[in-house]
Amino acid sequence: MLRHRRSLIALTMVAGLVLAACGSSGGSKSSDTTDTKAGPKSGNGTIVLGAEQEMDCADWIASCGGSSWGVYTMQQHTMPRVFDFLKVNGVWSNVPSVMSAGEPVVSDVGGKQTITYKINPDAKWSDGEPITSKDFEYTWKQIATGKDIYDKSGYDKIESVDTTDPKTAVVTFKEPYGSWTALFGGGLYGIFPSHILEGKDRAKAMANGYDWSGGPWIAKWNRGVDVTLTPNPNWYGTAPKLSKVIFRFIPDTAAEFQAFKSGEVLAIYPQPQLDAIEAVTKGIEGAQTDFTAETGNAEALWMNNAKAPFDSVAVRQAFAYAIDREAIVEKLFGKLGVKGAHNTINPPILAEFSDTTEFAKYKLDLDKVDQLMTGDGWKKNSNGIWAKNGKTASITINSTTQNKRRELTEEVIQQQVGDAGFELKIKNQTAAQLFGKTLPSGNYQLGLYAQTATSLEPGLCAIMCSSNIPSKANDNSGQNWTWTNIPEMDPDLALVDNSFDRAARIAASKRADVVMGRDLVSLPIDPLPNISLWSDRIDGPTGDNPIFGMFYNLDQWSLKN
Amino acid sequence: MFTYVARRALYAIPVILFASFLTFWLSSEAFGSPCDKLRTSREGVTAVRRCEKRIGVDQPIPVRYAKWLGNVVEGDFGTSSRTNQEVSAMLGPAMWNTFQLIVFGSILSISVALFVGVFSSVRQYSAPDYLLTALAFIGIAMPPFWFGLLAQQFLAVGPKQWFDLKEPIFFTVGLHSAGGSGFNLDYLRHLFLPVLTLTVQSIASWSRYVRTSMLDVLSTDYIRTARAKGVPRRTITWRHATRNALIPFVTVVALETGALFGGLIITEKIFSIPGMGQLFYDSLLVGDTNVVVAWMIITATFIMLFNLIADLLYGFLDPRVRLT
Repeated sequence: MLRHRRSLIALTMVAGLVLAACGSSGGSKSSDTTDTKAGPKSGNGTIVLGAEQEMDCADWIASCGGSSWGVYTMQQHTMPRVFDFLKVNGVWSNVPSVMSAGEPVVSDVGGKQTITYKINPDAKWSDGEPITSKDFEYTWKQIATGKDIYDKSGYDKIESVDTTDPKTAVVTFKEPYGSWTALFGGGLYGIFPSHILEGKDRAKAMANGYDWSGGPWIAKWNRGVDVTLTPNPNWYGTAPKLSKVIFRFIPDTAAEFQAFKSGEVLAIYPQPQLDAIEAVTKGIEGAQTDFTAETGNAEALWMNNAKAPFDSVAVRQAFAYAIDREAIVEKLFGKLGVKGAHNTINPPILAEFSDTTEFAKYKLDLDKVDQLMTGDGWKKNSNGIWAKNGKTASITINSTTQNKRRELTEEVIQQQVGDAGFELKIKNQTAAQLFGKTLPSGNYQLGLYAQTATSLEPGLCAIMCSSNIPSKANDNSGQNWTWTNIPEMDPDLALVDNSFDRAARIAASKRADVVMGRDLVSLPIDPLPNISLWSDRIDGPTGDNPIFGMFYNLDQWSLKN
Repeated sequence: MFTYVARRALYAIPVILFASFLTFWLSSEAFGSPCDKLRTSREGVTAVRRCEKRIGVDQPIPVRYAKWLGNVVEGDFGTSSRTNQEVSAMLGPAMWNTFQLIVFGSILSISVALFVGVFSSVRQYSAPDYLLTALAFIGIAMPPFWFGLLAQQFLAVGPKQWFDLKEPIFFTVGLHSAGGSGFNLDYLRHLFLPVLTLTVQSIASWSRYVRTSMLDVLSTDYIRTARAKGVPRRTITWRHATRNALIPFVTVVALETGALFGGLIITEKIFSIPGMGQLFYDSLLVGDTNVVVAWMIITATFIMLFNLIADLLYGFLDPRVRLT
């Protein structure tokens, strides 16, 4: 009898759990994913999305605030900005945001570059206070003079912000700044509310989240757990169609896919790792996917031009001819439909600034390897490895640990260049060690990593101009970690940074690309595609945005009935 | 008893001090400056130096340690270089999340392991004993990350797809649904898979300890005497044998439970639970020394505390053991 009662209790519990799982079909509040009672027209419905990283803090300009996932989950939805980053006629472009009353005007006033930003008269913060030119001034001063700022670039070149007209901010630069569209929310940062933060410790007020907004959503951050977005009642643009969006932090990629498959999250934006690509190409029931190679990333083999054997142009070129980049890209991303190697140091979204002709010449050609190496005085030793003056062409490659895709890339390259007479040793490190010590010190030969653009502005002088090679002259703060030293290229790269004549910048950037390809300062490999997955229960314009990620237009998302 | 506890507590202080210095020194040396991440900003070294000055990592390690220790004595573990938060504010929520997993995991592991171990020992060499032994070895050999993913697949994703449910029976993310809180069905549905993952290896290995220990006790003279006197089998098993067999089991449980407070890195990562394990992992990756050292002190304290609890329990389980 007792045994029967126990069985009955157990059966009741199981039935209860199954009923609980079924019971949400009408939009149960206990549901982790959806509240489907209300349709999109009524501006209702809740969706839960997966976020594979959590930001360290929400003070976006501080050293702790430089996380992409901070931008994806909170910053872009709450911070007003001058430009949106949208596709116009098939090209990613800076488009004046709803906060702007029009395209900013660039002029030369008394020999100084001046930008006039007109602010939408309806633009206001979530507390109803208007967004004014004082907010521009406050943002500039916080970034340019703040203590713990991630990056002051550009803001440190501003001389003044005229706030005479509350709805017009006139920004004057000390010296010309070509990448001005990256300022005031065009790229990394947004605009801060001076009336809320003035006189306060901004870092303290924002580090753990904030309750104000100048965007379509108000964000609430529950550390370690989630970010919840609710519509900003004073939003002056088109109202969001959903009543709530929740980003849940799921740091493990495999677990993220499981949560997506189980319906606990309705969209994910995973890194293009091998397991993620495998899962995506196998297909997931009820899921839509988008892969794009039109990204802000450029993954390359970064060569130390000052370290043997890559201090020789011929060796760099020979090494490039020893690698079948097409095969590597096919192996890594072929399943996603990404074909062909990347042929510029610029990321794909900066195609307008790129000339791919020189880099495209580097295709697997062992005869050219022999020709270049012997021409440079190398001979193969008894082991079939190139040698010169008693030294062999033994190269160590450094990349980041715990990255299966990069490990696979290294192994393939190791085999390919081995066939051509180069010995390649793999020595991977943590990201902190690689980017913190190894690369800046120049104590490496070959690195495999990606450069990522945060705006639609090229900025290769920082990493390729000879003046930016770490030295006493620049207080060792230069970021030309490939020790590229081609004086003929410097004026062009500097012009790209300093001119605000777009046509001249494009032409100069292309000339520099040709020189970089000719001397093969480094070897681009792939564009590191972006992968977006979403449930077919989501309605709306879905897909990738190379700067703001796949959640850039959440205000237009809704749930299908 | 009080003297014994006080003496053990005093012994713990130099151990913790030494361990904290070692961790502080090694993490500072091994991970480099937490400001190094700023080298990838466009300002590079300028930003790094600004940061190093701000958080004081430009000073020698003994000076930094002494300063840090002085603050710890006042209850201030410093500020996280990763999040700019007070370390103590980060530890509280993380410990609470780990605590929940450990409490439920320990209760389940101890109960099941005890029952399985005792059952196997009294039915030695029977078919159920062989079956439970085989299952125990499978459980011991099962890596938690693999079991966790299998559990997600077959107990969450699978049933949802097979039976076309609106949501999974058991959840795979966190301890509550978004915005949820409290002890309710939703909580239990979130707790089930991580606790199961956490307990599989414990149940498997602990049940083997209990079985072996029980077999030793069951073959002793006093059990044989009790049987000869006609004491009921259930009384012999549970009152006489199990109590004595618990002594080695208590040691294992106490030590492993103490260590668990340091974090359940795999389980917490797979199930997205922001506990001590995940905090340690995230901090270690970026060389957040203040958090790593605070984590180490807490872990060491719990290990020593549970060691002490084990010693005290010996006295309770075996009156012959006297604590002096």
